[in-house]
Amino acid sequence: MSSISKPAWQKRDTGLTIRMVFSFAILTLLYLIFLSVLAYLGIGFIPIIIIASGMILAQWYFSDKIVMWSSGAKLVSKEQYPQLHELIERIVARNNLPKPRIAVINKNMPNAFATGRGQKSSVVAVTTGLLDILDTEELEGVVAHELTHIRNRDALVLTLASLFSTVAWYLMQFGFYGGLYSGGYGGRDRNGGGAMLIILLVAMLTWVVSFLIIRAISRYREFAADRGSAQMTGKPVKLANALMKISGTMRRIPTKDLREVEGLNAFFIVPALSGSTIGNLFSTHPPIEKRVQKLMEMEASMS
Amino acid sequence: MNFFRRFKKNPISSKESSDAIFSLSSGYITLETKLGLKNTGRSAVSIKVVDGMYFSDMKEDIQRFLDASQSDFGLTYRTVSDSYGYLWVIIEGKHMEDILAGVTAIGDTVEEKGFSDKLLATIFEFRSNMENIDSIQYLIYNYKRNNFYPFVPTGQKNRDTEQEMKILSAVEQEVHFEKDMAFWYPMWDLPL
Repeated sequence: MSSISKPAWQKRDTGLTIRMVFSFAILTLLYLIFLSVLAYLGIGFIPIIIIASGMILAQWYFSDKIVMWSSGAKLVSKEQYPQLHELIERIVARNNLPKPRIAVINKNMPNAFATGRGQKSSVVAVTTGLLDILDTEELEGVVAHELTHIRNRDALVLTLASLFSTVAWYLMQFGFYGGLYSGGYGGRDRNGGGAMLIILLVAMLTWVVSFLIIRAISRYREFAADRGSAQMTGKPVKLANALMKISGTMRRIPTKDLREVEGLNAFFIVPALSGSTIGNLFSTHPPIEKRVQKLMEMEASMS
Repeated sequence: MNFFRRFKKNPISSKESSDAIFSLSSGYITLETKLGLKNTGRSAVSIKVVDGMYFSDMKEDIQRFLDASQSDFGLTYRTVSDSYGYLWVIIEGKHMEDILAGVTAIGDTVEEKGFSDKLLATIFEFRSNMENIDSIQYLIYNYKRNNFYPFVPTGQKNRDTEQEMKILSAVEQEVHFEKDMAFWYPMWDLPL
């Protein structure tokens, strides 16, 4: 493929960086506004910051263990799963990435995830259900998607992003009690009740907005990981296929002959409303149809 | 697609359906350049058979029209009935424009005779020769949905969904396409 007419998805993902910086700027701003409101009300926040930072650090440091423990993933050796190890070794060798540790979850539900602090200590986990339903190339697509998450340090990014909403949440609690005490005992501020209300409102708003932003970042990074997978394997259609298999979209394709269903008025049925806009705002993953569509656009731009 | 049409049983008018069908007049070139799919020049219109004089009148009208236009369009044709109770008018021509004109003219004749709700689908046949594997693939135009979808059969009641997705992504901008895969009904044992 010539370097002049590279399709957009093969270029460096500057959109991701811009969005990250922008989202963090907004989050930081919200955080600062919130803190200054608290500071104005005379609440010492050093104890809060120490607790929150300690928690977030611990969460990040133990993220792989927490995730592995809660999902029931078991690290597997090359002797136990030779094909899976070889498949992942092929991809990392081609793309100059360190080989992650590999884990398998004994579940029928097809799924996969990546976790870990850095590139070297990361883990790629797949369920046995995923290994059952996908063929080699589809599995490559899914693994490459997870490897892109690791390469893009998505776990760290999302941990940092959730730091803001967590801190906001805790501050909201402290703010609530702080307001209560200053209103009850101190009596230095006769408008204590009103101030408490403001704290609560600001805290809630901060939390809700940062929550939505985290969801948006997360959805965007899913698209980025799909794009990264397409670049690694050169076969976006395989990942699209895998996504459809995992989500059960494949089962939506009918098997009955058109001539058999014609009399059933099948064409006039109003399809069930799929994924309302509000639902989309809250979900961490973009809808499968959107991801498949984007992958197919990449596929089309290749030929 | 018109939202209210979902609730009405009225079939799509022949003007609307010919607009949709003619979207293939550039789409088929894209299929060839992007996916190496060559149109074979063969198409077939399927119509639900109704017993009675009016239906056989209509069939004769179609045949008269195709006989008369044989020299203009260079189309050859034959008719077949299948086990599902459908009449297939199979036409074959050299140029896509002629085939599309033939297909829409058949649709017009059916509508004139008041049988437009009996029109089911028109299929367009394509041949692929990728990696030296010959395969026959179809675009199916559904009259009631007024759009196209891909159908790539592989052997006994199996289909190549991956290739169908590729066809979708190659021409969904150009051709009136069915984006909801729940309507991608297969048509097995086509009489082409």
